[in-house]
Amino acid sequence: MPFPGRFSDIESNRTMLQSFACNGTTGTAVGNRMPASRDVLVEVTVNGVPHTLQVPARTLLVHFLRDRLGLTGTHVGCDTTQCGACTVALDGVAVKSCTVLAAQASGHEIQTIEGLAQAGAGLHPVQQAFWQEHGLQCGYCTPGMVMAVRQILADNPDPTEADVRHGLAGNICRCTGYQNIVAAALDAARHLRGA
Amino acid sequence: MPHGTCAGRDLFPADFGYVRAASLAQALSLLSDAAAADEDVKLLAGGQSLLPMMKLRLATPQTLIDIGGLAELTGVSAGAAGTTSIGALTTYRALQHDPHIAAAFPAMTDALAVLADQQVRARGTVGGCVAHGDPAADLPAVLLALAASVTLTSQHGTRTVPLDDFLQGVFATDLAADEVVTAVTLPPAPPGQAYEKFEQPASHLPLAGVCAVVAMSDGVITSAGVAVTGVAGRAFRALDSERSLASARPTAAVIGAAASQVAAGVRALSDQHASGPFRLHLAEVLARRALTRAIERADGTPQCLD
Repeated sequence: MPFPGRFSDIESNRTMLQSFACNGTTGTAVGNRMPASRDVLVEVTVNGVPHTLQVPARTLLVHFLRDRLGLTGTHVGCDTTQCGACTVALDGVAVKSCTVLAAQASGHEIQTIEGLAQAGAGLHPVQQAFWQEHGLQCGYCTPGMVMAVRQILADNPDPTEADVRHGLAGNICRCTGYQNIVAAALDAARHLRGA
Repeated sequence: MPHGTCAGRDLFPADFGYVRAASLAQALSLLSDAAAADEDVKLLAGGQSLLPMMKLRLATPQTLIDIGGLAELTGVSAGAAGTTSIGALTTYRALQHDPHIAAAFPAMTDALAVLADQQVRARGTVGGCVAHGDPAADLPAVLLALAASVTLTSQHGTRTVPLDDFLQGVFATDLAADEVVTAVTLPPAPPGQAYEKFEQPASHLPLAGVCAVVAMSDGVITSAGVAVTGVAGRAFRALDSERSLASARPTAAVIGAAASQVAAGVRALSDQHASGPFRLHLAEVLARRALTRAIERADGTPQCLD
């Protein structure tokens, strides 16, 4: 099912749901009076580099990053806001870029996995810890995991194992059983604290 | 297609027009024009419920009015008579970091910690939650138990309605086509509060969630608010439980009896994750846990007595 946790009688009646979802206004268009645009100018700074691009309004941030800027380190996993493979930082805070419009990101700063390691400084401590602890197997979820762990440690520099596991609720890995991902997060926390 | 290489495989919304409102006044003006023209328009706040529905084509609005950046609708402030006003565009993440919320509304803290995940909490908003009317959202149970009200603003003025009246059914609310949810207001609440849920592990949505708010004096419950989400077509107050708790001493028997009435007369919804009877069972168990923890947190009162 595309929408786990939803009630079956919702799923079986999309027309009804659609009408509710739109404040009950199911009527057809009477002219186009809104000053709304189907193409939007997106001005965004990604990994420190400013970009200005015109894209269809419905373009999702993850597709903007991957297909327009060629930053394919950010992955598309579930497409439904659950797996976290598309996690990036928006103004320094981890978000799921499959559930943000590029238009919403206009005027803001984005950091992707490509921007985490600083030039000449080697891997970011979280990346280094994933390498050290082998916090991956196939690697598909890894960019999102690294960006999510960066946020967990930014909010709580000294997390318990339970804190890390709870913090990773929005990121799904189908290979590792999470064990080494959690170990990597705790190792990164130690390094970042200078311990 | 919005992009090239993966066209046809990725999930993205149907085409729509987008406008970013620069102020509440502009948003209300745009909304009023759209309502007058019977246009199919949606307000976009954090987008954590609306965008997934649009990607699945469960919602296909012609136009999105993006109000997400309006600072005037963001933040927690003290209102009249000890009330707390939460701007509609305040994110869950901001609420988690707000010291007043943490001190005054421990049930809210409970819910925020287990609501969705850290990335969704960074974008999702309180106003978006109540306007969306999702029967399985966490926060409505907490807000109902805390007797929250919702402030709605249009070009014609502002009205405030109890959340209990605002929520009408599955994705249905009392929001008029030209209105914006601008704030959620909470009256002062006693410290005896707790929220408990049992979640669907992929979506983190509650199969059942119960919030209990208990005021106590001299070891006796003076008033109680109990509310349930995830079980019926909308979050609801458990009035029978509330009545059974008032003026009672918090014994295990009293808590058990109140919990057993938490969904009395409710027709529980069923889906592939949980049958109606299982949801009702969860609600009772969670009500018992929430009441027990709320009573433990109630100031100056003993632990649950047998």
